[in-house]
Amino acid sequence: MKLIKKGAEADIYTGTWKNSKSLFKIRKIKTYRNNSLDSKIRRQRTIKESQMLSQVKSFGIPSPLVHFVNLEKSMIVMQEIPGKPVHDLPESKIIVICKQIGKLVGLLHKNGVMHGDLTTSNFILFKNIIYMIDFGLSQNTIKPEDHAVDLRLIKEILNSAHAKIMESSWKNFLIGYKSVVGTPYQTKIVKLVSEIESRGRYAQVV
Amino acid sequence: MIGLGIESTAHTFSCAIIEKKGKKGKILSDVRKIFRPEAGQGIHPREASRHHIENSPIVLSECLSEANISVKDLDIISYAAGPGLGPCLRVGAVVARSLSSFYKIPIYPVNHAIGHIELGKLLTGANDPLVLLVSGGHTMLLSFLNKQWRVFGETLDITLGQLLDQFGRSIGFASPCGKNIEELASTSTNYVSLPYSVKGNDVSFSGLLSATKPISEKSKVDACYSLQETAFAMISETVERALSFTSKKELMIVGGVAANKRLSEMLKDVCKRHGAKFFVVPLKYAGDCGSQICWTGLLESQVKKSASLKDTFVTQSWRLDSVIVNY
Repeated sequence: MKLIKKGAEADIYTGTWKNSKSLFKIRKIKTYRNNSLDSKIRRQRTIKESQMLSQVKSFGIPSPLVHFVNLEKSMIVMQEIPGKPVHDLPESKIIVICKQIGKLVGLLHKNGVMHGDLTTSNFILFKNIIYMIDFGLSQNTIKPEDHAVDLRLIKEILNSAHAKIMESSWKNFLIGYKSVVGTPYQTKIVKLVSEIESRGRYAQVV
Repeated sequence: MIGLGIESTAHTFSCAIIEKKGKKGKILSDVRKIFRPEAGQGIHPREASRHHIENSPIVLSECLSEANISVKDLDIISYAAGPGLGPCLRVGAVVARSLSSFYKIPIYPVNHAIGHIELGKLLTGANDPLVLLVSGGHTMLLSFLNKQWRVFGETLDITLGQLLDQFGRSIGFASPCGKNIEELASTSTNYVSLPYSVKGNDVSFSGLLSATKPISEKSKVDACYSLQETAFAMISETVERALSFTSKKELMIVGGVAANKRLSEMLKDVCKRHGAKFFVVPLKYAGDCGSQICWTGLLESQVKKSASLKDTFVTQSWRLDSVIVNY
């Protein structure tokens, strides 16, 4: 096995599983965290992620195939998607892709799931298909507030990491999102996003 | 260039004098008086502002004599114009305006939160850090891009400082309670399970606060320990996410809670994992102080004209990500 990325939550290795090239995602022990809290978090997220990776496929969302799960090691063995994270693509491309991302998020929400960590690093472009990954913080929820938290996060990421293309990408994201969830729900969620933002510290009170 | 900075956003009234030569700044004096509410109570804005009014002449003259500077030597005066408690902010602004108009010294309104970051950069030497600002007023993860500090993650409700203070007050401490809680926490290793709420890069502490209170009825030390472990683990996780996402090679913590050793210890571990350099603002300058205002004012004066008196307002709500930074 070869280490290819030290992510925030897990280390990612490549290796072979039953003769096919695969990814090994291992949530290593975090020594800074209290032991029992740490094992609880790693266990819960490994379970959630492996379940969700399979579940979202039935919604029509491309995601890596899960080969094997080892809870003792908090390890998921999955199909490798050898593409590029949307985060690293040229800005002009990100703007266009945001529409597709919006659609995928719409599909997720329509089926009562929130992703919990919607960043541009968690979408991978491979052979013109966008794959959604990293479901460790996902939840089954139909609460509009939870869906709004998802949208707020991607908006925050666009605003910080992709500040120059924020407006056009956010607009495209919403077009894609609306095409799946419909105008009334989209309007409702966008309103909730502003509500969450206005709760922020020192937000301008209108 | 010599500047005077006046800080009065919350419980601290402070004046500081810094001499700026090129990119270097030397703190000549930093005098503060901190309003201490009774045990179990929080900062009452009116009471705190009275405290500031009574102490402002003492702090100002001590600050000048310690630096061995007379008012006439000052090149600029800066004051914290927000965000903060209205009545408290006004005290600092009045002192700044009076000096400015009587002695004809240029005046600069400064964002308090930017002050924490700029002073942190001056004192630690961090160059392009991911910034964790943790205090009573802020809990934010920031990085600088395209003339503005961009927010990567923040609290969706109360701040880390508020979490510690409000819990501390519920068990009878006086604000600020961070130090008391840290001391109690260090005597326990019994972790009680508490709600852990990370939403992407954002955190939420209000549920954690409510859940910790009943635990303190059984054991105060376990409650303090578990509260710190849970809250700091949440922060550390978001820091880790942001480090990984931004690929920054430096982390700097500033703000009052930066004084907490357990938090530093955890974040050091995070930095080690990600090969990032760890910077923490020196203990003495972690909390609110005049230096943070003074230094930011000096930086602003390089690129901006001073404010005219009629524009020297205070703003209770003034987000730091709305400030354009040109220096």
